[in-house]
Amino acid sequence: MKLLSYVLLLLSISFSAVGEESEPAKAWLERLSNALNKLNFSTSFVVVKNNQAQPYHWFHGVDDTGTELEILSLLNGPRRDILRKGNTVSYIEPELPPYSVTSQQISGPIPAILAGDISQLENIYDFISVGRSRVLGRPAQLIRIEAKNAHRYAYWLWLDQQSSMLLKLSIVTKQGQQLEQIQFTHLEITDKPSESVLQLNDTELPVLVDIPQEYQQQELQWNVNWLPEGFTQINTNRHKISLTKQPVEFMLLSDGLVDISIYVNGSQEKQRNADFAMDGATLALNQVNEGIEVSVVGKIPSTTAKAIADSITIKPPKP
Amino acid sequence: MSENKFETVSSCVDDFQHDDNAFDDIINDEHLSTTWDRYHLIGDVLRNDTPDVLQLDLSAEIAQAIAAEPTILAPKNNNVFALKLKAKVVAFAKPFGQLAIAASAAGLMVLGVQSNVAQNNETILPSQIVKTIPMAGTAEPVSLNFQEPDRASQKQAFIDQQRRFHALFSDHQQQVKLSSLAVNDTNTDDQNETHSIVDKKVNESNK
Repeated sequence: MKLLSYVLLLLSISFSAVGEESEPAKAWLERLSNALNKLNFSTSFVVVKNNQAQPYHWFHGVDDTGTELEILSLLNGPRRDILRKGNTVSYIEPELPPYSVTSQQISGPIPAILAGDISQLENIYDFISVGRSRVLGRPAQLIRIEAKNAHRYAYWLWLDQQSSMLLKLSIVTKQGQQLEQIQFTHLEITDKPSESVLQLNDTELPVLVDIPQEYQQQELQWNVNWLPEGFTQINTNRHKISLTKQPVEFMLLSDGLVDISIYVNGSQEKQRNADFAMDGATLALNQVNEGIEVSVVGKIPSTTAKAIADSITIKPPKP
Repeated sequence: MSENKFETVSSCVDDFQHDDNAFDDIINDEHLSTTWDRYHLIGDVLRNDTPDVLQLDLSAEIAQAIAAEPTILAPKNNNVFALKLKAKVVAFAKPFGQLAIAASAAGLMVLGVQSNVAQNNETILPSQIVKTIPMAGTAEPVSLNFQEPDRASQKQAFIDQQRRFHALFSDHQQQVKLSSLAVNDTNTDDQNETHSIVDKKVNESNK
């Protein structure tokens, strides 16, 4: 009887220890999301991938009316700016004339979900609080977002102990190899939004693009029969890839953190083995099987991409 | 395999090959010996050595003339002393021979570098074949003819693939940016459904 009570006691201690370990990690991520939405900050960060560094400026602020204002600009090469005023996000890029979309998040190097509802990821990822270290001259807490299965990469975040702001982010393989890194080089948190952000209120944003309803969620002529669990279809359409003018049938999938694009089109070649290319953590796979060219793009390991590509089957023609 | 043989023929024509077996191969293989003829003819034309009257089957005539000549019979030289002397000379000459091998290896390296340069030129400007021959002073690029189109098409395929990947990366980013439209318009009411963990068959959700 005594022994049993000891065992029970031990069990309850270990359970509560596990609970405490995972709870703060999620609390950290919630504080990060809150900080990204509420704080007035101006920061600089560098995206390190393929032995190259891309420097960015990032400003965020909330004006008197409670509208979020945000500017993210790439500092090297041709101008790439993303502006956000409340629910309108504008992209200024060299490839296209400037345009705006209705969205609450900018789509940049930092995953948008970090500013959103992190509990969306709970089913597929574990949040683990690992330890403390020093980043950007501040005491920082390391939080890992680890996938529950082997089909994805892990995201390691270093958060400021004081403000919960992001100080560093790494995308890491299951083997611990770093593929892509975002290192903040400057962080300034102020009570009032900065001048550069407030100027956005006087700026007229480019026109909103309107994509007709029939263009989206089109029915495709093929099926994907295997996906890592947690991925759901976001969009399907037919479009031409802007650089090659290749018409494709397209499907966009997401698990909240990672986006996967699938492209399918007919090819003049009969058979071509799978070829891979990596851009930081983003992988592209391209193969031709029985005259059908399949491409898969996303921040996923090559084995996952290959399994998705191989699972695609063409629907039988309708009678 | 056959390309190798053509290369051997080419090097024989250019006096780079002193292996008798190679010559035997060429003589015994009818196809290779016609190639030999053709390479010499090409070389002659390039050097402007062609006679006023082209005699295309000269070798056949010479062979006929040799066949017509009377056979000379002579006693076989079987001198033991001469053999011994020869062996001593070989032992004495060995170190020098090694030196000579080293020297020829260096020579080969120089040749290799030169031919590499020629190859590089070729891949950039395929039409340069004609020009490189008088520049280098050899007929070697003739043998490169056989590989050249293959390499070019491989390179083209590589460039195509790079372009394809570049286009894919940029289109992926574009589609992610535009995806918020699709989400806002259609998925608002089944937002909860998007978080369910199932290995979903995508066609089902495409109603």
